[in-house]
Amino acid sequence: MAKLTRESLKALSGQNSLPCCSFIKVGMSSCGVAAGARVVYDFLKQEVEKRFPHIAVRQCGCNGLCHAEPLVEVCVPGVPAVIYGQVTKEIAQRIVAEHLGEGRLINDHIYVMAVRDGGEK
Amino acid sequence: MNKHFVLIKDTGPGAEATGEFYTAFVTRLREANLETSVQAVRAADIGVYGRGIAVRILPGGPLYVNVRAEDIDRIIAQTLKNNVVLKDLVPGEETGQMRIVLRNCGVIDPESIEDYFSVEGYQGLGKCLFEHSPEKVIEEVKKSGLRGRGGGGYPTHLKWALARKAFGEEKFVICNGDEGDPGAYMDRSILESDPHAVVEGMVITAYAVGAHTGIFYIRAEYPLAIKRIQRAIDQAREHNLLGADILGSGFSFDCEIRLGAGAFVCGEETALIASVEGRRGTPRPRPPYPSDSGLWGMPSVINNVETMANLPVIMRRGGEWLARIGTAKSKGTKVFALTGNVRNSGLVEIPMGTTLRAIVEGIGGGSAGGKPIKAVQTGGPSGGIIPVDRLDTPVSYEHLQELGSIMGSGGMIVLTEEDCIVDIAKFYLGFCVDESCGKCAPCRIGGWQMLRLLEKIAGGEGEEQDLEKVRRLAQAMQKASLCGLGQSAPNPVLSTLKYFAGEYREHVVEKKCRAGKCLGLVRFVILPEVCKRCKLCVGNCPVNAISGDRQSGFVIDQAKCIKCGKCFEVCKFGAVARR
Repeated sequence: MAKLTRESLKALSGQNSLPCCSFIKVGMSSCGVAAGARVVYDFLKQEVEKRFPHIAVRQCGCNGLCHAEPLVEVCVPGVPAVIYGQVTKEIAQRIVAEHLGEGRLINDHIYVMAVRDGGEK
Repeated sequence: MNKHFVLIKDTGPGAEATGEFYTAFVTRLREANLETSVQAVRAADIGVYGRGIAVRILPGGPLYVNVRAEDIDRIIAQTLKNNVVLKDLVPGEETGQMRIVLRNCGVIDPESIEDYFSVEGYQGLGKCLFEHSPEKVIEEVKKSGLRGRGGGGYPTHLKWALARKAFGEEKFVICNGDEGDPGAYMDRSILESDPHAVVEGMVITAYAVGAHTGIFYIRAEYPLAIKRIQRAIDQAREHNLLGADILGSGFSFDCEIRLGAGAFVCGEETALIASVEGRRGTPRPRPPYPSDSGLWGMPSVINNVETMANLPVIMRRGGEWLARIGTAKSKGTKVFALTGNVRNSGLVEIPMGTTLRAIVEGIGGGSAGGKPIKAVQTGGPSGGIIPVDRLDTPVSYEHLQELGSIMGSGGMIVLTEEDCIVDIAKFYLGFCVDESCGKCAPCRIGGWQMLRLLEKIAGGEGEEQDLEKVRRLAQAMQKASLCGLGQSAPNPVLSTLKYFAGEYREHVVEKKCRAGKCLGLVRFVILPEVCKRCKLCVGNCPVNAISGDRQSGFVIDQAKCIKCGKCFEVCKFGAVARR
């Protein structure tokens, strides 16, 4: 990529490279990897690419819900974005089949983090 | 009509009723013929605690708490069908975290600079380089009221102004990523999850103080953090955000990583500098402060990872924006690593002034097993223990100091009735004794002697005068030690002596440890009336201290018993008692 200047940096502001409507993110910091996120990530990467090629599977950092690692955030149209915790390969399979396939949320694995207004997010 | 989702979770103490409520809700949905357009879901965690059944309507709908079975029909008829919010079920006060430092953690891909650009990354730096003079940057940080997040709470702008004014051929910026408190890992998480924010913070600091070289001091135990920071540095260089003539502004700055070998004392700035220079990591007396004479004798600014991560936001949104958050003297937010006996361990970021209770109970969800909370430990080995009756204290540098603890880098460990205060004090002191560099006598000898006294007390040999001895040693160490490690090492002991004197006296006078943690004071006995004579304990005892037979019952030979607690653990009937 070309070297950035003041102007080209400014032009980047507001541009969104994150896929905004269809993505799956797996928390891949030390804590997540230690809890087994790598297996889940590899599985989702392979399976989702095969069955739902328009959905991007990406890694992200740790959002702080350490007790619930490995964490998988799923955001697809028609279903509200949620974070699944304590995801095993089996749960990942259900995410692909039920959440992505049927547009249904999965019982007992959704973790909601309460964040109040006023911060950056 | 768009499909709705109803998350359900019982947040109350006691028996979990999520399942029952869920079944009732599903039945009512079916009766209302809404099965296809509304899905009820059992949540694992709904973000509020101790509020009975909580219901959250997605997408974008309200959160209801203390919902009863009678409310189901109202929720379906009004909220789900007509989008009417039932005001009486909405929780009153605002709860939850406020995320500034952790803004991108778990949101962006830490290995992608494009992701960081898409969340306004490096815009703060651009503004700072082209619109502000270095003095104006310092002024902006002054307005924000930002104070060092590493523990000391020294105003960041003062540190910078001193380094800016100091004379030196070269100046350095160091990012202190040597995080060593037991149970604290906020810095690791920030470095791993949002490395570019820390790099951007470094360049802003360098511009403000006039430095051209920066050093990331990260402990070698954090391999992933090191890898991601290195990648961030490389990417920033490729994009002209590090190196010569950054963004064409004429300002040049570059940085590199130095690995710490994992000594706790190297988090202290003068010891850290020694370690970076390749010398043994021992502190030296201050002044001269590093802002006058730091790395290689040149003016240096050392800031914690979390402090650095605050800077891009301050630059982008202005100092006044941050100053609106927090208390009179402590501005902004603080990240805590909430661990110990707590239901939801993890990272929490809260505005300064939030009470400890709101953190532990409101965000942490209370103790893990529902046992009463006894105290909260903050500030790691340099901090203190805050008893449960002070949990309504707001979190700020001043308030925690008043209680004999410190904010520290942000470890927060929840203790319940299952934890012994003497044992905890002994643990922290033991940590500091191990980590003492040995340079000054008060810390090297005082810590060791104090630890021996605590071991004596925990072993059941304590005498009344020992408590006074401990107190005097602690005070001597506080006054006479060379660096922060020695000066603060007695804090856990002093604060427990202050708030839990009764529990120390129990150990000394009654020879009793109520939590059953101090093995010297514990006896394991088999309760004959509960014992089912299954012999499981006999087979598990490593020293064959349990004798008897199935007719007459079993007894533990106290002389042979090594108090390993194995019999206590394996007994399925609770027939082994700890006394």
